[in-house]
Amino acid sequence: MANLLELSKQTYDYLMGKEGLKADFTLARTEENEVTVKDGKMTMIRTLYNDAVSIRVIQNQKQGTASINSLVIQDIKEAIDSALASAESTDADPCYDIAPGLKPEKFEMGALEPDMDKLLSRTMELSEMIAQRHPKIKLMEMYTKYVRGTNIYRNTNGTQDEKEFGYYELFLEYAGNDGVNSTGFQYNGVDFDSLEKPLIELSSLEKDLTDTENSLNPISVTEKFEGEIILTPSCASQMLEMTIMNAAGDQAILGQTSMWIDKVGQKVASDKLTIASNPWDPHFPNHEVHTGDGFRSEDYTLIEKGVLKSFATNLYTSKKCGVARAANSSLAMVVEAGDVSLDDMIKGMKKGLIVGSVSCGMPGANGELSGVAKNSFYVENGEVKGAVIETMISLNLFDLCNNIKAISKERVCDGFMVMPSILADHVTISGKA
Amino acid sequence: MLEDFLTKQKSLFGTGMQTVLRGQENRIRQVALQNGNLIGNNRVDTNGICARVYANGVYGFASTAEYSEEAAAKMIAKATENAKVLAKYNKENGTVYPPLSANHIVSPRMIVDFEQKKLIDLCKEIDAYIVKKYPDLLSRTVSYREDTMEKIIVTSDAADGHVAYPRCRIFVEMGMKAADGNTIELYKLWGGFGHMEDHFAKLDEVYAGIDKLYVDLHAKAEGVYAEAGVKDVILDPNVAGMIAHEAIGHTVEADLVQGGSVAGPNLNKVVASEKISIVDFAHTALGEQASLPVYIDDEGVEAKDAVLIENGVLKGYMHDRKSAAEFGVEPCGNARGYGFSDEPLIRMRNTLVLPGQDKLEDMIASIEDGYYLCNTGNGQADLTGEFMFGITMGYEIKHGKLGKAILDTTVSGVAFDMLKTVDMVADKAVWDPFGTCGKKQPMAVAMGGPAIKCKITIGGR
Repeated sequence: MANLLELSKQTYDYLMGKEGLKADFTLARTEENEVTVKDGKMTMIRTLYNDAVSIRVIQNQKQGTASINSLVIQDIKEAIDSALASAESTDADPCYDIAPGLKPEKFEMGALEPDMDKLLSRTMELSEMIAQRHPKIKLMEMYTKYVRGTNIYRNTNGTQDEKEFGYYELFLEYAGNDGVNSTGFQYNGVDFDSLEKPLIELSSLEKDLTDTENSLNPISVTEKFEGEIILTPSCASQMLEMTIMNAAGDQAILGQTSMWIDKVGQKVASDKLTIASNPWDPHFPNHEVHTGDGFRSEDYTLIEKGVLKSFATNLYTSKKCGVARAANSSLAMVVEAGDVSLDDMIKGMKKGLIVGSVSCGMPGANGELSGVAKNSFYVENGEVKGAVIETMISLNLFDLCNNIKAISKERVCDGFMVMPSILADHVTISGKA
Repeated sequence: MLEDFLTKQKSLFGTGMQTVLRGQENRIRQVALQNGNLIGNNRVDTNGICARVYANGVYGFASTAEYSEEAAAKMIAKATENAKVLAKYNKENGTVYPPLSANHIVSPRMIVDFEQKKLIDLCKEIDAYIVKKYPDLLSRTVSYREDTMEKIIVTSDAADGHVAYPRCRIFVEMGMKAADGNTIELYKLWGGFGHMEDHFAKLDEVYAGIDKLYVDLHAKAEGVYAEAGVKDVILDPNVAGMIAHEAIGHTVEADLVQGGSVAGPNLNKVVASEKISIVDFAHTALGEQASLPVYIDDEGVEAKDAVLIENGVLKGYMHDRKSAAEFGVEPCGNARGYGFSDEPLIRMRNTLVLPGQDKLEDMIASIEDGYYLCNTGNGQADLTGEFMFGITMGYEIKHGKLGKAILDTTVSGVAFDMLKTVDMVADKAVWDPFGTCGKKQPMAVAMGGPAIKCKITIGGR
């Protein structure tokens, strides 16, 4: 840490020696230790030592950036000069800026002392539990890792954030397989900071494994109809993230393509929907402490009871377009829980799908989306009839937000988001004719 | 250019340890203008060293951001230690990979860097052309991106090499309001393997493409929703290439075959129309340099072509050394890692549907009621071969002639089923050199093919 601090001082001094310069930079050092498991055996240990330096400079209202992975002061100085040369080539824009200075702070978060033996034993325990409890799961790859890092962020207005963090990570890629048939891929990724409980209890892992096994003999939907869908937490995250990027993100606002461009303060979704971006939520093992522009990151609400409260915009977009700056840049999505259980949501469905994910591209600005329903189940009169194959759904993301009929009490956290299941109607579902 | 002080580190390789030492530099140059505002102006340089050691059926891997002799020695030691730690948990002795030819391979060209000013000026020039010629646009984005990598590969029992993969592209997206008030967007890319000056010394081709993009955008603004259902379609080479990569290519990667992909039980069986042949080319295709030439992979395997489907019959898979040993075949050089800290995975290189003998105009004329699907922006496929592609530009075909443009839609199907419906294949293949495959790590890939006529499920609205 002392070296990184000293290096940050040298970097800061070099920047301050330049005339009329606004700048910010991050120095980062991480170490990762990872074990891979395939077919029930540990097959690889990886140790990764990574350094990173990112620099932004603004001179004469011209901005340039540079990123390198060397923590050698001469290399950093060259990167600063390179960023300045880049900036010099641009046109002046008064909207380029950095945040005002903050009081220097130190942050510590997550699991700072790893227990690698416990991580290895939990990893093998998970592999064995999957083999015992879910014999029709083909575990293609699984890895767990411990990540330990130090970041120092400084800007020329006096901010100095020192951040120490550590967390564990789990990733699984698997499919249902009974020796004859195979399902499609399923993935789970979770960040966490405690090894107290078995890894199979993290996030929605156990349920996802069960659902995948139950997908081995899919049925075909043979008609086209307008029905209901329940978005699982991971699919709800996928849909809401696309909606926000399409209508509230920097590019949509800067490009004036957003369907919500003049909708702040207005209703854009069902009053059941409240979406916050809460980087300080205690569910998360790692927290964004400052925005990309250097403001202290704070939780904020994007949509409150269906009303758009804020765009997810940075300082540049805010100044360029005359909109409020978002209070953080991490989009750590936390959706408020509803008042109905998932079981009751399913029982109340007449005809539709439980959708685990949608295989689709990023929809255009108008929000029109059609894609293949993956890891999905057909429901009729409150009864789950079976997994589906070759079934497409078509919807409009903005209509979807307005057509939300229920949100589940239960929520899932994977270390990046806290999300319930969401029921919406008026979705076109079509099978292979 | 990376200095080679890695070769002399071979003396540090452990006895009986199949070791690869890799030095690597990745470089990104990026400029982005949105409505004339500079929203991206980035230069990213990362380099480092990794060592991978294989022994007793397990791997040890270590990487560092430091590029020095001392760092190389430390990584060899750490990777060896990791392999030994893991070997204690592994009761079975793993297969020893057969030794390979020990040539030294150097790719014909290395990386050339340009001042950021040249890249910014290039984007400004293209942006100015659009502003002047098409003032009625709602939005426009012009960006330049160069994503290059250079590698030094040193192995204990295979080939060594020093190779580079320069690639750059210009991206233009334009948006306008459609009659119904919705925003319509279209984009196009230019460039490929090589440097800025290889592709953009003259901009005539880019400007002609922008003019065509504007025409298509207007047509799309007055477009109609496609009718949902199974339709006769012509897939443009752009879309056929995506099929080759996503819907076929991934299912025949040996790690996914071992994971239960649909290709597993179908080796040497008919999986497509006899008009369909697909090859993953190494560095030379159809008598010319492939779109993204690969001469050696990150395990030291000299790259050669991998025949995947020949006249409709599934002939083989793509391998790394491990899966090749398990399947009892020779690897073709498909194991590649994106960054210095990435372990090599089985990746495609230049995956091409081979051209047939039909003329595109005859193919269009043969369809009574269907679609010509011109562009796809994305695609995904599954172990089962079930795929989906977003279609961003297309036209109706009515009575053998192109009709109205269609709005964004999605096509889907099961790859081997769909390929059996192919009854015409155009005589000219076109490369798409801009692919970035997202299998765990990003990886530059090229794909392509001719236009093909088939039946496919189209999403409609």
